Amino acid sequence: MLQSIATKTIRDGRRSLMWWSIGLGSLAAFTVLFYPAIKQIPELDELLQGLPDALLRLIGDSELLSPEGYLNSQLYGAIVPLVLMFYGLAAGAGAVAGEEENRTLDLLLANPVARWRIVVEKALAMVVGLVVITAVLWIAVYLPAVLVDMDLDPVNLVAVQLSAALFGFFMGCLGLAIGSATGSRGLAIGLGAAIGIASYLVNSLAPLVEQLEALQKLSPFFYYYGADPLRNGLDLADAAVLMVGGLVLVLVAVVGFRRRDVGV
Amino acid sequence: MTGTAADAPAIRTEGLTKSYGRKRGIVDVNLEVRRGEIFGYLGPNGAGKSTTIRLLLDFIRPSSGTAAVLGQPAHGSAVALRREIGYLPGEMALYPRLTGRELLRYFGALRGVKDLSHADELAERLDTELGRPIKTLSHGNKQKIGLVQALMHRPSLAILDEPTTGLDPLVQQEFYRILEEIRAEGRTVFLSSHVLAEVERVADRVGIVREGRIAVVSEVETLKRQARRKLELHFDAPADATAFQRLTGVVEARTDGKVLELTVEGSVDDIIKLASRFTVLNVVSREQDLEEVFLTYYAAPTTPVADAGDPPPGEGS
Repeated sequence: MLQSIATKTIRDGRRSLMWWSIGLGSLAAFTVLFYPAIKQIPELDELLQGLPDALLRLIGDSELLSPEGYLNSQLYGAIVPLVLMFYGLAAGAGAVAGEEENRTLDLLLANPVARWRIVVEKALAMVVGLVVITAVLWIAVYLPAVLVDMDLDPVNLVAVQLSAALFGFFMGCLGLAIGSATGSRGLAIGLGAAIGIASYLVNSLAPLVEQLEALQKLSPFFYYYGADPLRNGLDLADAAVLMVGGLVLVLVAVVGFRRRDVGV
Repeated sequence: MTGTAADAPAIRTEGLTKSYGRKRGIVDVNLEVRRGEIFGYLGPNGAGKSTTIRLLLDFIRPSSGTAAVLGQPAHGSAVALRREIGYLPGEMALYPRLTGRELLRYFGALRGVKDLSHADELAERLDTELGRPIKTLSHGNKQKIGLVQALMHRPSLAILDEPTTGLDPLVQQEFYRILEEIRAEGRTVFLSSHVLAEVERVADRVGIVREGRIAVVSEVETLKRQARRKLELHFDAPADATAFQRLTGVVEARTDGKVLELTVEGSVDDIIKLASRFTVLNVVSREQDLEEVFLTYYAAPTTPVADAGDPPPGEGS
């Protein structure tokens, strides 16, 4: 595991990755296991119909009793993408800025490795982490769903996981870009989280607020959730936006990191 | 010494300048470090030693001027160059959760060094604890790991920023022997220090940096030769200073009862010959060490110099 920057980064984060996976996985599993109980209360959907539109948008779905509506409202509408966003931000911000603040970056840079390679390998380690969390999450949703006879399309379940992972990737790359260009981990996480949460709010509320409508297309959250991947499968164009956007941010990270003084 | 011009100086800077906003950087630093020498880079903390080093390693970019390391520009060819360089940071932080051995394996992999036997040998000689997580180690032990990683790949140029901080005296002596072996192999050591006794002990040449500028570059021996020494002659009768005062090389002579105190530059031959006419009970000679030489450079134009008195541990003998 100590053969490259990428594998060492994965090794360093293995314990924290385990806790992220266990945390999100157990939350998801319990949520699914509660589904039969929720289904016993048909009044819930009527209750939901009575709620204002804005609240429904924030909940993430307008029905609770269908498997997709239930999972969207309980997991995929907010919690899953936000958890993946914070995982990505922590990994991205920590990549360069974290080592810089811990003052280990000097020694790393004294090795014959280019700055772009540090950025790219750390981004790869983040991708591996996101894949692990979402793979665990898929199992933690699908197995209990089979157990409680919840009728879910496993492929669409993959699609929503993949979309969420891409959202986490994009946000992580944003953290990577801010952290690599400035050397400040706090700024990278803080600004990244603010942008991420704003993008969630914009996407949710845009259909209701005229002034926000134009902004929706700028919201990374829209490209994760806008096409409702759990019902409709993966929207390739949306996925490509997050993917390419993330790669552009990696490029920004490389350029920003290469141009500046380190650790002053 | 692959890929680097073998006859080029180990380090050459021309007009190297780095200005920070309000912080002090370095100004117009011209240095040439020859292959195969131990070069002492001497100055108090905050004088600009680490700034110079970080420029050489391309961590920071100069405001103006150039730096070439092993014949290559420090900036353009930074990656290939770093294969040939070993670096010990002044304010070092190691990965706290790795053990020393794991850290050496990691850096070995990044440098393409598969055979860690030289690392093991260095670790053994410096009595380094490699088996425990670094966060549990004392400062001295971390420093030793830092030294081992800096030297493990037999670099053509070792850049060591304050290498002996936290080392106990026995380990320091072993470390100096290692440096001498590196020099014997024709490799170069650039050693920054605020400890004069250390530079005096190991370096061939010394550059004294003062408030971001090079005050002087000189052979250590030359500096020592210029150095004045104090000589105390204890006679059995009250002494007379005037005869001694006239001798060449005597800068100052004063008497204190039966004791004659002389400040001497250069040879003491005449003094000893003159003194032999009297009954000499005791001779005390104290060679002025670089510290005092150093202070003369520091005391130079802008007095008073606040930070020149950084007390170096270890008195010169």
